[in-house]
Amino acid sequence: MSDPILSIRDMRLEFDTFDGVYKAIDGVSLNVAPGEALGLVGETGCGKSVLTRAAFGLVPSPPARITSGEVLFGGRDLLSLREKQLRSIRGAQVAMIFQDPMTYLNPVFKVGTQLVDAIIAQQKGAIARRAARDLALEMLDKVHLPNPQRQFDSYPHELSGGMRQRVLIAMALAAKPKLLIADEPTTALDVTVQAQILDLIAELVSELGLSVIMISHDLGVVAQVCNRVAVMYAGQIVEDAPVADIFDNPKHPYTLGLLKAIPHPLRPVEHLAGIPGSLPNLYTPPTGCRFADRCSHAVPVCTDGKPPLMDLGAGHRVACTLYRKEHVDA
Amino acid sequence: MLEIEDLKVHFPIGRDSAVRAVDGISLSLGAGERVGLVGESGSGKSTVGKAALRLLSPTSGRIKIAGVDITKAQGKALRHVRRKAQMIFQDPHSSLNPRMTIFRSVAEPLILHTRIRGRALNGQVAALLERVGLPGQFLHRFPHELSGGQKQRVCIARALALDPTLLVLDEPTSALDVSVQAQILEFLKELHGQRPDMTSLFISHDLAVVRFLCSRVAVMYLGRIVEEGTTEQVFAAPQHPYTRALLSAVPLPQGRQSGNRIRLTGDIPSPANPPSGCPFHPRCPEAIAGVCDVMEPVFEQSGAGTSVRCHLLTRNAA
Ligand SMILES: Nc1ncnc2c1ncn2[C@@H]1O[C@H](COP(=O)(O)OP(=O)(O)OP(=O)(O)O)[C@@H](O)[C@H]1O
Ligand SMILES: Nc1ncnc2c1ncn2[C@@H]1O[C@H](COP(=O)(O)OP(=O)(O)OP(=O)(O)O)[C@@H](O)[C@H]1O
Ligand SMILES: [Mg+2]
Ligand SMILES: [Mg+2]
Repeated sequence: MSDPILSIRDMRLEFDTFDGVYKAIDGVSLNVAPGEALGLVGETGCGKSVLTRAAFGLVPSPPARITSGEVLFGGRDLLSLREKQLRSIRGAQVAMIFQDPMTYLNPVFKVGTQLVDAIIAQQKGAIARRAARDLALEMLDKVHLPNPQRQFDSYPHELSGGMRQRVLIAMALAAKPKLLIADEPTTALDVTVQAQILDLIAELVSELGLSVIMISHDLGVVAQVCNRVAVMYAGQIVEDAPVADIFDNPKHPYTLGLLKAIPHPLRPVEHLAGIPGSLPNLYTPPTGCRFADRCSHAVPVCTDGKPPLMDLGAGHRVACTLYRKEHVDA
Repeated sequence: MLEIEDLKVHFPIGRDSAVRAVDGISLSLGAGERVGLVGESGSGKSTVGKAALRLLSPTSGRIKIAGVDITKAQGKALRHVRRKAQMIFQDPHSSLNPRMTIFRSVAEPLILHTRIRGRALNGQVAALLERVGLPGQFLHRFPHELSGGQKQRVCIARALALDPTLLVLDEPTSALDVSVQAQILEFLKELHGQRPDMTSLFISHDLAVVRFLCSRVAVMYLGRIVEEGTTEQVFAAPQHPYTRALLSAVPLPQGRQSGNRIRLTGDIPSPANPPSGCPFHPRCPEAIAGVCDVMEPVFEQSGAGTSVRCHLLTRNAA
């Protein structure tokens, strides 16, 4: 296997808050191979956005503090780089599409102006304004925005939620990045437009060998785009496997719960199977398995210490005591 | 409870043209009903929701809440309506005040509209947040210290604080993972069970969510309703080609696509310059040349019991 394009190793991150130190990310390791599309899923608030943003220096410190870890990208440890160097990597080689489109569009400037400025910044000024404008219009067309010329002259509030998201996708893809981090890129879109955007991302993966980290709550979306899935729970990775394995042969009780909770879109359902309880308090994180108090399979040893990620073979890893060798053999 | 009659909302652009975001919609929700509004991004769903609660002024048409015409209501009358009618906005990030803690955000409507104070207020706010799955550890956080889904849950708690009788929920679970979504949807269903009068307009592009929660559904395309019926009817036998495309495009986990996905080609038309005839005809796989591009279809009853705006209906009936 070729070297990973991105390698996060044992990342730990804390936030200083009014109520104390919140330990948001606890020892996460993650690799993304060239041309691979990795899905990152997990309960709301488990740390997906913070992890991927922090890797590229986008979580302000203070209040955040990275207490350990390395982030290797293109042979360099990003955590040791200065803001200026990071900024140039972010613009040109890594593109990010975020969850909250409105926050990333400035309400007082027209969409087109922002797009053109972003393109000029991405190419570090090596593109004329005219050419940047043409590229901007081409990208707006590519993400299937109706009437690109008019949207170009609109202000962000004049666009619907889905249109704004498409503008940001256009902005991200204009740089032809090596790695695309898409944080809930299609939540604001209806399924027919979503299908087009996912096709577009899939096209870029196969044509440009783009690598993708796709954060999504929609396991259907993940199944459609990703080759591999990492499941996070309360700041840790609990399972990591090829996409088909996650759906057909899930191991971690949390992953099982997640899959059971999906409402079937085309069949009537009377009740949805949520997972009772909520994320543990990460001001005082449990010392054992963080899912133990919500887990129907929990045994006393589960609270004894953090279960390590164990390799089950064929690229399938799980952090759960139930799969410890001595248990399986016994 | 909510009656929308021939609602139009046009946003002017330049001197003599306008974005016809909503272009003649009628929809009526009986007390206790849960109605879903689905449709293409940009089709005007949020605009309908905002106009229904008079968060923006309609260009024409009428809106009645509990029998009272609020189309032109102002000042005190409008405030009175808003106390009992709440909206959960699509974008939780920009609908929370960045300078207010979570506690304060949820307490605010109670402070403004009730006499609940002190311990009782603390208790009520904590209980509301608990119901949406946000335990005490988040009370003193500011919005920027929360994840997307956590903010969305704060918005839901805030909207429910005053026990509204009419709720407009605009993509209320879009930022939640499926297990938390399941908790919230079950909670909303339970709430409806406990409060038989509570009426909800549920805006979502997630058909599974609408299917679970709503008894009736309306499908929008480019500012109009193109199909309306009971959830069962619409899901079992979608009549409008757009509804069919919508249902076929739902990504299912396991990567199994729901039968054959109908790929819509062509660009989504702009509501500032809608196509002639049926607004869906340029993208419709079944468009009839010489008919669909010329004449606008009217709303009619289909054999399946739904109301549909499509020429195929008359043609198939003939
Ligand atoms: N500035 C901050 N200060 C304190 N805590 C924070 C801050 N930013 C994020 N957090 C906390 O870190 C945790 C992880 O947040 P993150 O945004 O990564 O979640 P997520 O997995 O992306 O969730 P979602 O699916 O809802 O977007 C959350 O519990 C959140 O409350
Ligand atoms: N203030 C405004 N000025 C001009 N045009 C607007 C304004 N608000 C909305 N629009 C336009 O009205 C149309 C409908 O927008 P709306 O937000 O209601 O769509 P939506 O169906 O909610 O879409 P989404 O699913 O993407 O949220 C869009 O074309 C949008 O660009
Ligand atoms: Mg997030
Ligand atoms: Mg909307």
